[in-house]
Amino acid sequence: MNTVDEILDYAIDQEQQAADFYEDVAQRAETAGMKKILLDFSKEEKRHKKILIDVKAGEHELSPEQEVLDLKISDYLVEVEASDNITYQDALIIAMKKERAAHKLYSDMAAKVPESHLKEVLEGLAKEEAKHKLFFETEYDERVLMDN
Amino acid sequence: MKLPFGRTTSSPISTGHSASLDFAQPEPVDLASGKYVKLWQGPQHPGITGNMSLELTLDGDTIIDCKTHVGYLHRGFEKLMERRSFIQNFTVVCRIAVPEPTFNEYLYSHAVEEISGIEIPERATWLRTMNLEMMRLASFLMWIGGQGGAFGQYTVANWTLAYRDYVLDLFEEMTGARIYHMYIVPGGVRAGLPDGFEGRAREIMDGAEKLLDQIERVMFNNTVFKARSKGLAIIPPEMIDPYGIVGPNARACGVKRDLRKDEPYLAYDQLDFDIVTGTDSDAYERAYLRLQETRQCISLIRQCLDRMPMDGAFQADMPNVLHWKVPAGETYVKAECTRGEYGYYMVTDGSELVRRVHVRGPSYTHAIAVMERLAVGNNIADIAGMMVSLHTYPPEIER
Amino acid sequence: MNLKDLLSPFFVWQRAFEKPYTSIRPTIDRPGAPAYRGFHINIADTCVGCGSCHEICQNHAIDMVAVEEYLGREGDSGLRPRFDYGRCCWCGLCVDICTAASLRMSNEYAWISEDPTVFHFTAGVDDKPWQDNENGYRRAEGYHLYPPKRIEMEMLPANESVSSFEEVVKGYSEEQAKKEADRCVECGICVATCPAHMDVPDYIHSIRDGNYEKGLQLMYRTNPFPATCGRICTRRCESVCPVGILGEPVAIRWLKRLIVDQVDASDYQRILADTITENGKKIAVIGAGPGGMSAAYYLRKKGYAVTVFEAQESAGGMLRYGVPSYRLPDNDLDKDIDYIVSLGVEIKYNTAIGKDIKFEQLLENYDAVFMSTGLSVPSSMRIHGEDHPRVLSGLQVLADVANGRDPGIGKKVAVIGGGNVAMDAARVSRRFDAEVTILYRRRISEMPADEEEIHESQEEGCRIVQQAIPVEIVSADSEQQVAIRWGEAEMVDDPKGGRPRPVLQEDRMHTDTYDSIISAIGQGSNLDYISKEMHEEFAIEWGKFTPGEYQHTTLEKVFVGGDFANSTADAISAIEDGHHAARGIDRYLNPAAYEEK
Repeated sequence: MNTVDEILDYAIDQEQQAADFYEDVAQRAETAGMKKILLDFSKEEKRHKKILIDVKAGEHELSPEQEVLDLKISDYLVEVEASDNITYQDALIIAMKKERAAHKLYSDMAAKVPESHLKEVLEGLAKEEAKHKLFFETEYDERVLMDN
Repeated sequence: MKLPFGRTTSSPISTGHSASLDFAQPEPVDLASGKYVKLWQGPQHPGITGNMSLELTLDGDTIIDCKTHVGYLHRGFEKLMERRSFIQNFTVVCRIAVPEPTFNEYLYSHAVEEISGIEIPERATWLRTMNLEMMRLASFLMWIGGQGGAFGQYTVANWTLAYRDYVLDLFEEMTGARIYHMYIVPGGVRAGLPDGFEGRAREIMDGAEKLLDQIERVMFNNTVFKARSKGLAIIPPEMIDPYGIVGPNARACGVKRDLRKDEPYLAYDQLDFDIVTGTDSDAYERAYLRLQETRQCISLIRQCLDRMPMDGAFQADMPNVLHWKVPAGETYVKAECTRGEYGYYMVTDGSELVRRVHVRGPSYTHAIAVMERLAVGNNIADIAGMMVSLHTYPPEIER
Repeated sequence: MNLKDLLSPFFVWQRAFEKPYTSIRPTIDRPGAPAYRGFHINIADTCVGCGSCHEICQNHAIDMVAVEEYLGREGDSGLRPRFDYGRCCWCGLCVDICTAASLRMSNEYAWISEDPTVFHFTAGVDDKPWQDNENGYRRAEGYHLYPPKRIEMEMLPANESVSSFEEVVKGYSEEQAKKEADRCVECGICVATCPAHMDVPDYIHSIRDGNYEKGLQLMYRTNPFPATCGRICTRRCESVCPVGILGEPVAIRWLKRLIVDQVDASDYQRILADTITENGKKIAVIGAGPGGMSAAYYLRKKGYAVTVFEAQESAGGMLRYGVPSYRLPDNDLDKDIDYIVSLGVEIKYNTAIGKDIKFEQLLENYDAVFMSTGLSVPSSMRIHGEDHPRVLSGLQVLADVANGRDPGIGKKVAVIGGGNVAMDAARVSRRFDAEVTILYRRRISEMPADEEEIHESQEEGCRIVQQAIPVEIVSADSEQQVAIRWGEAEMVDDPKGGRPRPVLQEDRMHTDTYDSIISAIGQGSNLDYISKEMHEEFAIEWGKFTPGEYQHTTLEKVFVGGDFANSTADAISAIEDGHHAARGIDRYLNPAAYEEK
């Protein structure tokens, strides 16, 4: 992966995979309420994908300079399994961790390439993922850590 | 000595009537004879101190009979109060005597406090005392003008009525209103003194003192005023108690009676003043006594300013006035207003409304019984000056 | 006649050279004194429309009128005073009584108009030139027409309260309650704010009259848990009480408690006189908490045969197992529950739906079902090492204590969380002689727990460490102990709104050792008793129901209420949900009675 387009294609594919993953878990989820949440997550990933497609088409710009708040909630949580009777809390943990991993991947890649447009794109992608992570971490803060 | 208008100083009452206090009906007069004239003075007449009227029967210029008629100002305050809450009433009572609303505010509040066992803070007693003395000053200034005017000295009337407005300015500053101050409220007063009030009050007191000196020269050391007021409407000592005569009207007769000294209330026991008395008991003596009492007011206001605590609470802890039930009880409270003893009799039944309030104003006796008696035998031209010299306010007759 | 008296009056000429009193030109404006009682000013944004001005006006010169802009504001009647200057006597009592200090007067006193209708205006809403006047009469500092401070409540001193489960709040005496009840201005804003819309001003009035029987009747119209709510209600009424704007709000909760305390349980039947005419229909209620029991009470009153299914051995739900007895003694909770039971409500204890009886069976056998099973599952922290045996859940500790079991917490305890469960767990631990540290991710001011509980827990010696984020549980040297690694947090404003978010500072980490760690970070619902197939029928999101107008669900004849069906998750909301569901069920089963006539 050396060109900007290649990177973006990869990122778009990753978002699609995430969307597929949630849909798959949703299929197996035991309760209707849980299914709905997971499908919502899947929709959220598809929204991310759409943003990246727009970026590739030049209709949207990534903004590598923007500051994104890192709540660091997911950093210290245990890994959980996407089982059939997954709970709301665990679904959110999976989502946070996925976004966190993606963020880390793009930041690490950006660190390795020299100053270039490519580096900027990678940094922009990292910021984008950080935003997604913040979204899920905020949800977790509101819905799970109610009394904390 | 022979005085103008056929009066002498020898007899306390200048007519053929004896000084005894028999209430024998006068001989009915035969109006058809054409010898007598029936004349109504008031209710619209500048010589009447408010809306009331005198039904005079004249034999020539001489009054041979006087009947008083009241009712033109009847607004039923005592009854109104029975339908208003204890806090609302304090906005009503000030209207009972327009030139002296504060005494009503104080006595109403005091009666409520007495029955409910509320003790007002010290600062409130001082603020009330000063407020009452300011009221006395304003009322006397208006009276001096009235007395001067009744004898044709409108210059003095203009001076004092205008200066009274400076005192009203002080009220406006201290209470938020010029006439219906609504300052003394059950539980204390509504506010402390505004910033800079003391200085302005002292300035106005100095001016008032100067004015009174001028008035003494122009009105009291005046041949015309002396001629018309000396020997006029003398109240003999034996009338004082049977007629319930109080205040300056009694003191001018040598009766040393003043509630501020006799039964001190508020901060009066901490103020230096003496009861002013006179001897002649005529219109001039009463006027001169009131002039001295006006000076005394200025001194008392200054003393209040010197001695009152300038900070601290000015209101006692109050219950919620929106549903204030005063315990059942009754009381009579009184205070010395410009015209003597002013009293409030209050009965409560433990509900949110007062059961009965009776207001005793000195005008009731002074303007009716005393007036009817003193008028007889006098000249029609003196009737206005005579009435003013009794210092009466008809609205408090009719409550 | 002497010469002096003849000459002296000529002194008047001297005055001819003095400055006249009057203005040379009569058109010069003379402003009123700075504290003059002139035209009214109302700061409409500050005003809450309590109507005390209207109440005190002896001239009926003030009407409270609805102002669109303020309708629906929390703690606001939406009304504003309209003045009729044909009646006003400028006494200013309206200003004196104003609970929000929004009403005052300007020092302007001249207003001329050809149109007589303009003298009837809503101050602060209708534009008037004096609205921004800085001068004029206002209530003086230190002058009150109602007592601004509440009657102090006697409490067990902290050194005594930590050594027993005796009730901490002692309750008012009759005399104290009368005084406190006197402070109410009877505006009714509390009624609108109370989730159950309890008739607060009227039952407070009954205290002033000493008529506790009437007070009890009034309370039972909207709330069959007055003894409970008189102790532990979240009392949103007090947070909107206008008396609290300038002083302290009326102690509505303690007054409610007094009424119940004054009436003996044996008199309830006679006083409340609930007569029941059976209507032959059967209702099943799942969960005997405040929501379920409230529904049971109001349904029973309408003549339904009500059966309550309760998994525990006693009724009360979180009130019994989640609220320690020093806040709500068992016999007071029983006073409420026993009366409901006495009307013929049947409770099947130790009966868990889904295990002992299937949910579908209830649907089949009853005319309607009301579910109110609350939030009973403690959220897990999901941090490493959480499965350590010395990590306990707050709810479990409270349930153990309620059941008379030793929670086995040791002598040095850390409580994680800042809600009421965390505070209760901490204070219970103090009563077991433990040294307690509360770790909370945010600041004390942001704790969701009741302010009083936070205060009392501190009084009782609980140490609160704020902005502390637990990161990991690690084993300690001894098996009887456990260590927690936590980091300090910085608070960061959420750019999207919402409460400030704590951000872990990884360079400021600490590790402390405790005998046990009690986790109380939140709770979720347990809906396992509904089969997978049935789940499809309901719209459940994030473990919660979003009920319809009458607490109905997407499934016909099933109604829900309580913590898992509202956003506030407190007893009073559950009680109202139950009451409202009872109306909903009655509408559903007896529609003829509700048809428009």
